[in-house]
Amino acid sequence: MKRSAVAVAALLWGTRAFGQPAPAVPTPEPEAEPEPINDSDGYTPAVEGAGAPSPLSINGYIDVGFAKAQGDGTSFAPNDQSVPADYGVDTFAPAVNSRGDVASTNSNGRFVNGFLPRSVGIGGNASFLLNTLDVDLKYTPASAPLMVFSRVQFLPRFTGNGDDTRVYVEQAFGRLVPFESQEFALAAGKFDSVFGIEYLDNEANIRTGVTPSLVARYTTGQSIGAKLFYRVQIQPLQSAVSLNVSATNSGNFVESLQPPDASLTGEPVGAGRLGYELNTPGIQVKLGASGLIGPRNDQAYQAAHQKTYGFDARVAVAGIYLNAEYVHVDEGEGGPKTTSLGNFPISSTFNARGGYVQLAYALPFSVGALHKLTVYGRYDRRHAWFEGFTPITVDRFTGGVRIDLWEALILKAEYLDNRELAGAPTVANNVFTSSLVYSW
Amino acid sequence: MRRVRIAGGTLLAAALFGTTAVAAPPPTDARGWLGEELPLPLAVRTPQDLAVKAAAEKQYLIFNLLAGGKLAWDSGDFATAATKWEALLKVHPLDPDLDKTIRPLATEARSRAAGRFAAEAPAPATPPPPSSSTAPAPVAPPANPTVSVGGSVSGGGPLGPGGAVIWLKRANGETPRPAPARGKVISQRGKMFVPHVLVVPVGTKVAFRNDDPIFHNIFSLSKPNEFDTGLYKQGATYTETFRHPGAVQLLCNIHASMFGFVVVVDTPYYAESDASGAFNIKGVPPGEYELQVWHEAAAKPTVDHLSVGAGGVHGLALRVGGDKRAPQFVPDKSGKPRQSHLGY
Repeated sequence: MKRSAVAVAALLWGTRAFGQPAPAVPTPEPEAEPEPINDSDGYTPAVEGAGAPSPLSINGYIDVGFAKAQGDGTSFAPNDQSVPADYGVDTFAPAVNSRGDVASTNSNGRFVNGFLPRSVGIGGNASFLLNTLDVDLKYTPASAPLMVFSRVQFLPRFTGNGDDTRVYVEQAFGRLVPFESQEFALAAGKFDSVFGIEYLDNEANIRTGVTPSLVARYTTGQSIGAKLFYRVQIQPLQSAVSLNVSATNSGNFVESLQPPDASLTGEPVGAGRLGYELNTPGIQVKLGASGLIGPRNDQAYQAAHQKTYGFDARVAVAGIYLNAEYVHVDEGEGGPKTTSLGNFPISSTFNARGGYVQLAYALPFSVGALHKLTVYGRYDRRHAWFEGFTPITVDRFTGGVRIDLWEALILKAEYLDNRELAGAPTVANNVFTSSLVYSW
Repeated sequence: MRRVRIAGGTLLAAALFGTTAVAAPPPTDARGWLGEELPLPLAVRTPQDLAVKAAAEKQYLIFNLLAGGKLAWDSGDFATAATKWEALLKVHPLDPDLDKTIRPLATEARSRAAGRFAAEAPAPATPPPPSSSTAPAPVAPPANPTVSVGGSVSGGGPLGPGGAVIWLKRANGETPRPAPARGKVISQRGKMFVPHVLVVPVGTKVAFRNDDPIFHNIFSLSKPNEFDTGLYKQGATYTETFRHPGAVQLLCNIHASMFGFVVVVDTPYYAESDASGAFNIKGVPPGEYELQVWHEAAAKPTVDHLSVGAGGVHGLALRVGGDKRAPQFVPDKSGKPRQSHLGY
């Protein structure tokens, strides 16, 4: 400190008595922050060439399980002789795996009209299952905003009483993100539905529980066509609004209800979802409204239309996950129909309304190999009818537990309590099922 | 001002370095020491009062710079020690004995602050007790030299050895607390984290800067360093202080393909390997250490024992696993897994 400064300060403070607290003034010389001995600017791998990550990734999972269904594994009541058999029951109830396969679709020789799920053919026998061997290929070249993706599934079925073993190309598409400054993506090929939210959890290694919902058959199928995704972020609200639309050969029904990939009418089916997201640090909310319209594409009659709409919600807060969805389906009358299960003489007018609410809680601890333990429960309800037949109302309570072990293994077990509330004979068709999924 | 009535600085220096009785505040934090406030509250009514006050404040300033430097040295804060002692050497006139005592210590502190010498904080050499005000003060002998630990990492599977983080902790005794790094920035560019892996000491603030023309929402679920930036636009920066050691996985709530890492270490002895796997850790005092290596492709960190001799360690060959693949489904910030091929 210079002498003159001291003198000025002394004059300013000259009348202060000794012992008074010193006034707070800045320190006489600048403070220096300590310097670290070592330092690093970080590491970033090369985008291309040596050391760059491979643009091709191969992932997948294997899903094995154990299941036991009540009765003969079907929803057909032994003493119900109505024809066709599949118009008098909900043939999709209840599933034994993530694909929605049921234990059996054996109608004991009675006529059915093709409104059937896939079957693993175990009947009422407690059985181990090899549900799915899934292989995903993803190619993302560094030189272009492009991604090519395929998902091929091997579905071994050994019993001979259900579906045959087959290889199923579930998805195969290319996606282009043409503008750096926009959340805008175009895709073409065979891809997931854009309707609702359940398709997001459609695979065994993603889904919280083992089985899909009662309305998944209307919303989670894959079709061939083109789709567009656009999203706008609204920063002040920590929110986003998104639009996902598609034009495809078929609708969003699962593959057992769809014609084999080709368009039988020559007209596309349009579908879309308008979504809102709230993404605060404490809570995430996703809301959506979906719609679908187009020819009923399981037959060649262009005037027979399908119209579907639905609403969905997801809320995640403090380890609690709430999923809810409502679906409203109307299909007009058509001619002879073709599904992936074969050709059938009738496509009646069909209507369905249904939905589910699922609540899951991930316990907030992780010990050693146990990464996460989640308990969940779901309530499903479906009301549906064919023109001229008795409406059928069923509901289902599903409860289960999911254990995530290490980073690649998931063990799930659940019990489905299925109830025929109206229009269908009561059948003992509850299911205990489980799943062990290893991802790579 | 009895303590600093002075037959030169040697007496004062000896008092400071030879005994803790003089340094009233505990020598734990060199910054914010209460004895640094000027002017002194001495009444000035006459020219003599002013002369006394000016002399007292000069001595007070000398005392504070001298003692503050010592406290900083003791706490391992060599940059502050160097700054204070260099400021002291600029006081004119300064007792030549005090100048002689402090000048080599200031040089040593500046060297250590630049990372050329030890990271620990051994007390500076104790000056001899004062024999007389005219006796020359001996120059402090140099502190124990430090060495470097260098070598190369191999392994890492298809990602290669680049981005491995190597750090040392004392096997016997406490590892010095590292000084936080400064100016650390992770850019979001081309929907990637740049750098992809960054190692920082605990307490370091890292700025997350959005250099993309789109929004990002960076977050981590890696406890106890979890954080959430919320949405932020191009050019905006969010700063997060990493207070706990461990690997922190960085994700974006909008772009499921983005991921990167901040590796937080609680030691001043660390380095990150380059693309060839080469690394070098500076300023390591000889001794016994536990060595750890983290790599994003290794399911478990490599842990080993390392003896560091007076010549340092050169050509150390380390290997990391390549058994951990990139995550197939990265979670959103609620912890729910996402399929990166869906949506955007």
